[in-house]
Parts: sequence; structure tokens; C-alpha cells
Amino acid sequence: MSVAELKERHIAATATVNALRERLKQRRQALLDTDVAGYARSHGKTAICFGSTDLVCCRTLQGHTGKVYSLDWTLERNRIVSASQDGRLIVWNALTSQKTHAIKLHCAWVMTCAFAPNGQSVACGGLDSACSIFNLNSQVDRDGNIPISRILTGHKGYVSSCQFVPDQETRLITSSGDQTCVLWDVTTGQRISVFGGEFPSGHTTDVLSVSINSSNSNMFVSGSCDATARLWDTRIASRAVRTYHGHEGDVNAVKFFPDGQRFGTGSNDGTCRLFDMRTGHQLQIYSQQHGNNDNDVPIATSIAFSISGRLLFAGYSNGDCYAWDTLVAEVVLNLGSLQNSHEGRISCLGLSADGSALCTGSWDKNLKIWAFGGHRRVI
Amino acid sequence: MQANGLEASSIDHKPPPPADNRGKHRILAELKRLDQEARFLEEELEELEKTERVSAALQELLLIVESTPDPLLPVTNAPANPSWDRWFEGPQDLHGCKCWIL
Repeated sequence: MSVAELKERHIAATATVNALRERLKQRRQALLDTDVAGYARSHGKTAICFGSTDLVCCRTLQGHTGKVYSLDWTLERNRIVSASQDGRLIVWNALTSQKTHAIKLHCAWVMTCAFAPNGQSVACGGLDSACSIFNLNSQVDRDGNIPISRILTGHKGYVSSCQFVPDQETRLITSSGDQTCVLWDVTTGQRISVFGGEFPSGHTTDVLSVSINSSNSNMFVSGSCDATARLWDTRIASRAVRTYHGHEGDVNAVKFFPDGQRFGTGSNDGTCRLFDMRTGHQLQIYSQQHGNNDNDVPIATSIAFSISGRLLFAGYSNGDCYAWDTLVAEVVLNLGSLQNSHEGRISCLGLSADGSALCTGSWDKNLKIWAFGGHRRVI
Repeated sequence: MQANGLEASSIDHKPPPPADNRGKHRILAELKRLDQEARFLEEELEELEKTERVSAALQELLLIVESTPDPLLPVTNAPANPSWDRWFEGPQDLHGCKCWIL
């Protein structure tokens, strides 16, 4: 077959794919008979009402000398690891505000960090295209630094996000600017599976975030600059289980809903969304009205759900940190406007394992802990 | 391939330059990818025919959200855990350890 004939077939195939995508979009639209807010309101639900001193900043963790880019809590509640532009990881006891470890990184351009399930190791990655593992119990070297215990190499682009598989100490998933996600065996340093890349149904550009389903750790979701989120089964690397369309910009953040049946996303288009994992439906858009100038819309950089899923915390590029009532799709609190709030962009946030505290990390170099200090009514 | 109006013997039988072959391989690979994507999309369309509307899943969502105890809400289901309030117990140094890591 000649090149010219092949090119014609290519044009026809592209038209077929576009037509199928359009049919899929319309069929899905026909199934969107309501959204969460419409349904909740019709069942009499009203927005959560916070008093002005209910959620308070109860700790400010100071010590980084550069922007904070990433944070992660331990499973046993009180410790946090943070990564910063200053080229360091710091491990904090959030309850006492004390720093227990300060790890100077070989590559200062770190973008992500994570705690291992047993709280004994931390992982980080960034522009070095690798993921470094540190054992917190290691003896420090003669410079007082914790040595790397394992380095995971193989990505051909920056490591944007990493997370340990919850019930498996030895496995970790990374997302990368090379368009793939990888499942690693941390003890051997080997790649177990590569998700995307040369296979179709992978992301078509940089992958920015991952979230592993805590109810079923075989499933994880990834968010990408291609404006989609994709669901993967770690046992089937050859294709994504599902692709979730809707966002109109990079998907910076993905996070599973507490029950593992849904997940949230945060995007450069300024919105957060809730998707149903199984059906692929977009259940809700969380979006504020802004001025006419699209350039003014702050981007959603990071998200986390409260332990019941009733609140969606979203950090934005302008320093706002909204608490969305997920059921009625209203902003019920802006942590960015409270006393003692951050002075810069919120780059990362996360809930403690028992859901009693939210930690936010910011370009103002600090981390802050927020908890409920008002009168709680238990019914 | 014969050009129009030319005798076969007058056609240049030199092999095509390497660039053409590379172009062909690239287009073939792209075609394969598109065909596979079309198959995946057709599968998804079929699956969607059997998928319920959004409203079918929302009752369960409301139920689970409203029944799970949540320490950050002003009104929440029992049981509350006393350790939720540990952030406000004991001597509170709001600014904690201020040493700068250099």
C-alpha cells in the first residue's frame, strides 16, 4: 500500500474515532438526568453551616526555606512528611510541631513525597525522573544525612506524584511527565508494570497525579495534562479500564472518595469534579462563578475529601482553600480567608488518617494544621 | 506502481528512499493505534447501553456520606472519638518548633 493510500486510511480512521467519541459523549449526556446537588436538594439537603471559629488553624509547621510542594500523612495519625523547593524532606510530628527528620535530597527539584504504610520509610521524586526511598531508621552518614536506601529509575520524564500501595509495604505507584504510571517493587527496585506509554488508551501527555483506591488497592486513578482522568487495574497494564472526560484543562489532582466508589479531580480549568468510578458518569462539578476574563480563574491545585466525603477541600493558585459541601455543591468555608491562613498558593493538602485534621502546604513555605475547635453536635 | 501513461519499462525501479519507508511505518503504527482505539470506543458504547442513569447511584452516595462519623463537621453521627480533639489538648504552642533547616 502506498503512503498516499495509507494517509487516506488514516484520515478515515481518525474520522471514525472522532465520530465514535461524539456518540459516546452524547449517549453519556443523555444519562445525566441529574447531578449530586440536584438530587440532594430535591431530598431536602441543605448546606453545612460552619461558625466562624469552628475550623481553626491549630498548628503552623515552620522550617522549610522554600515553597512546599507536597505532603503526606502516616497511617498512624500524627506524622507528616513534606517536600519543598529547598531540596529537603521534613518529617514532622504534627501534634507537637517537632521535626523528627530533615532529609537533604541529591536532587533539589522534588515534586512529590509519600509515607510508607508502616511509617518507617518515605519516598520522593521530581525532575531527576527517579523515585528515592529513605528508611527513617537508617544511620545517618558522616554529613548527618539519611542515605538513600533504594532509587527507582526507569521513567523518562519527571516524577510528578507517588503513593505507596496501602496494604503492601513493598509496592509504590508513580506518575510521570513521560505519560506513564509505573508500579514498582521497592525491595528490588524493579518496575512491575507500566501503564500507558506505547499502548493505546494511555494518557497522551504528562501525568500529574495518582490516587490508589483504599477499598481495592488493585485500582488506581491518574490525572493528566490531557484533561482526562483514567482508571487502571494494576493487574492489567495493557489498557486503561476507563477514561473520564469533562475537564477543560490539566487535571492536577485526583483523589478517591472515602468509600472507593467515586473519585474527585481538580483542574487548571478552575473546577473540581466528582466521577463515578464504575459507570464513568460525571456526578458533579464544583465551580465558582468568576469574572468574564478566563485568565482570572484560579486553578485547582490539590484536593482531599473529609472522612465521610461530605466535605471536599480544594486548594487554589490564589491562596484560597475552599471547603465544598459535596452534596449541595456550595462553598461552606474558605480557609484562605480565616485567621492565621497561608500567605501564598496552596500547593498540597491532605487529611489525617482519622479525619480529625487537615494539613495544607503552601508556597509561603509553611504547613498548617486545621481541626474542628467549635462545639460538635453528635447525633 | 505505474504512473499514468508511462510504460512499465520507463519507470525508475530504484527502491524508495529510506524516508518514505519510515513515513510508512509511522503511519501504519498510527493506523493500528486508531483502529484499536475505535474498538475500545465501540466496547464502551456497548457498555453504556447497559449503564444506568446518574440518579440511580445517588441514593447510595447520600446514605454513605450522612452515616459516616466525621470529626470536621459541626453535626455528625455517633460514635465520636475523644482523640479527635487531641489537637486542642495540653499546652499549645501554636508556633511550635521554629528552627530553620539550613
